[in-house]
Amino acid sequence: MDEPRRRRRRPRRRTAEGGRRLHSAGSAVAVSLGALGLALLLNAPGLHKSATIQPEGWKRDVALAVTGPLADVSSTLLLDRPRRALKAALGRSDDDRVDTEVAAPEPEPGEPVSSPGPAPKRERFTPKRKLRLWVAGDSLVVVPGESLLRAVAGNRAVAPVEKIEGRIASGLERPDVFNWFTRVREVARTLRPHAAVVMFGGNDDHGFMTGLPEGREVDGFGTPSWTAEYRRRVAAIMDGVTRSGAFLVWIGLPITSDPEQTRRYDAINAIVQSEAEKRRGRVAYLDTYFFFAGEDGGYAQYVENAAGKLVKMRADDGVHFERAAGDLIAEKVLALLEERYRIVSPS
Amino acid sequence: MLFPTATFALFFVVVLPLSWLLMPRGERWRPFAVAASFVFYAGWDWRFCFLLAFSIVWNQVFALAIHGRADPRSRKWLLALALAGNLGLLGYFKYYGFFVTSTNNLFALAGIDLPLEARSVVLPVGISFFTFMGISYVVDVYRGDFRPAGFGTFAAYLSFFPHLVAGPIVRPGELIPQLQTPRDPRYVDTSRAFFLIGTGLFMKVVVANFLASSIVDEVFGAPSQHSSLEVLVGVYAYAVQIYADFFGYTNMAIGIALLLGFTFPQNFDAPYAAVSITDFWRRWHMTLSRWLRDYLYIPLGGNRGGRLLTYRNLMLTMLIGGLWHGAGWTFVVWGGIHGAALVAERWWRGRPGYVERRPTRARRAWHRFATFQVVCFAWIFFRADSFSDAWDVLVRLFTAWGEPSPLVTGGVLAAIAVGIGSQYLPRSLPLALMARFSRLPVPAQAALLSLALLVTHALGPEGVAPFIYFQF
Repeated sequence: MDEPRRRRRRPRRRTAEGGRRLHSAGSAVAVSLGALGLALLLNAPGLHKSATIQPEGWKRDVALAVTGPLADVSSTLLLDRPRRALKAALGRSDDDRVDTEVAAPEPEPGEPVSSPGPAPKRERFTPKRKLRLWVAGDSLVVVPGESLLRAVAGNRAVAPVEKIEGRIASGLERPDVFNWFTRVREVARTLRPHAAVVMFGGNDDHGFMTGLPEGREVDGFGTPSWTAEYRRRVAAIMDGVTRSGAFLVWIGLPITSDPEQTRRYDAINAIVQSEAEKRRGRVAYLDTYFFFAGEDGGYAQYVENAAGKLVKMRADDGVHFERAAGDLIAEKVLALLEERYRIVSPS
Repeated sequence: MLFPTATFALFFVVVLPLSWLLMPRGERWRPFAVAASFVFYAGWDWRFCFLLAFSIVWNQVFALAIHGRADPRSRKWLLALALAGNLGLLGYFKYYGFFVTSTNNLFALAGIDLPLEARSVVLPVGISFFTFMGISYVVDVYRGDFRPAGFGTFAAYLSFFPHLVAGPIVRPGELIPQLQTPRDPRYVDTSRAFFLIGTGLFMKVVVANFLASSIVDEVFGAPSQHSSLEVLVGVYAYAVQIYADFFGYTNMAIGIALLLGFTFPQNFDAPYAAVSITDFWRRWHMTLSRWLRDYLYIPLGGNRGGRLLTYRNLMLTMLIGGLWHGAGWTFVVWGGIHGAALVAERWWRGRPGYVERRPTRARRAWHRFATFQVVCFAWIFFRADSFSDAWDVLVRLFTAWGEPSPLVTGGVLAAIAVGIGSQYLPRSLPLALMARFSRLPVPAQAALLSLALLVTHALGPEGVAPFIYFQF
């Protein structure tokens, strides 16, 4: 007699704490891939924007090649709708929009944009008529901006109009990352600052530009075509701020731990400095190079302060500022503001 | 490579299936895990990989040497050398500048100009975490608690990417046995893994980033520009931000490890529901607390030498723990505040005739409230760039009431409520949610997760801010 066939029993499905089922590794992989695949389609507009605003290079090219068609499929299948609805509900409908327009103000009739005008009257600000101050730029402006706000905290004649706008990875080359040209116009119109302190260029030392006028191309960083276009953009920011009567302090880029980067920053500084010179009295350029140079004239992370104390001035990345550096810059900015305006604050 | 990025997602969808395919063959899986972890680490800076490799070789060589010797004297010397290597590495990369500036400025007070040169040293991400894990491996081998693992297993242990850059600090006894035995591909706790990853992403990308950009950075950047209410809410917001940031990261790390079949220890247990500072340290960064207890507090003598020595040991442990968090005196003060609170609690409970009072609901609520205030007070020093900034925050807390507070918005208060309220939820709730999720079919699980990713991505700000604990 044959032995009865043994039925192979599947092991009992195991459960963990709370009665949750354990699943196979295959299921883990399937859920992970499925969720990520569907999430890619649902978030396609945002991912496409993230790909667009990446630094130039093969990673951006690959990301654009993937997210472009993905965004098209998502749109065709209406899978981008939930994200758009969610963004609209949050009042952030523009989050996924890529805006590359370089809005340069048209010169006003008879206005001497490109030559130094007469020294403007030294206006007076008091606690009753406060000096409205705006601080903006790339991530480099954050630390000096905070120092500046601390420095004017006890001064009742100065009022910041907005929190410090330090936009990471932004600059004048890439309005797609953040459009400063649009923002400057908006601030001038709505917040009407009397003084603006800005710092741009920290991310602009690459040569890749978006928002170029139709038919215009730039050949690479520092070339005549790049310099002309960058100059136009610097001028647009300066005019955008000063056209409404505000005084602009532009903080120059500092020496960095990378000599090659420092050389590129020098080229940017030269453009800014010459454009500021054309607008003397309305724009002041603050050269920061020697604030942070060591005894040999090169980059130094630790520098003695005015009290002779050795302090850390620069962050570990060799570019950004530490608090002590911010305080030093703020002191100089404040001196420029006081040179331009009479700021009267009773103690 | 940050967890909440497309780059990591791409990396993980390749690593996850390959890891399970290779899992049955440990001799293939371990090199694969090490290679994947080095790729992950190189995402920050490929040069750091040499440091990680050095740490692996150094600790394994000394663990084997210690294990191979019976003579206590030479074992002790070898341990001292191993520790010197680990601490020397950490000291150079993390504390060199701090040491030089502090020493120079101290001697300058006495008019002595020291020739110590302060040069730039880049802090490699995660060095504090893998150094502590290396130390615990060598010490455990020295104590005889653990036999040295094979080189591949140890390399996988120290470099395993889910814990590599910001913990949790996994002890050799917790992970190495798991690395030595292939994980069973039939039973993976996927629902817990996805739950941890989902909540971690939400806490980091939405709660922590929102609070940082909406109020915390503003208030701590220039406290004297803000009203007392803004400063107060800013301090509470920072307490929630740092919790959401680090809890979020470790949740993701634990979830990712679970998907690969490995179990990491829990790192947080509702710390803002703690009823004392002693209780807080049982719930906050639990793997660090355990590490400090077993490798610092107990070797210092623990509570074996009488009351005063116990107080000294507690204080020293917390001061060093503070310094571990950052090369700055504000971190030491942060540790000092916690140390002083721990000493005070121990003294209070150790008084002659002290009787623990029956815990009523009101008493517990008061203890929780008081503990949270002490923790938040200490966070001011942790977050501030300098003592003068911390002082500004403290002064401003009391001197600008009644001024306009535009930063205190409904969104900020809601995010704080989410961060603190989540710690008071009944433990049965997440368990029930996970159980329900685990019973859904695969497509439904994938759809639900993708919706969670949609909401997190849409609510979060553009870009991903670095995790606070990466700098430690």
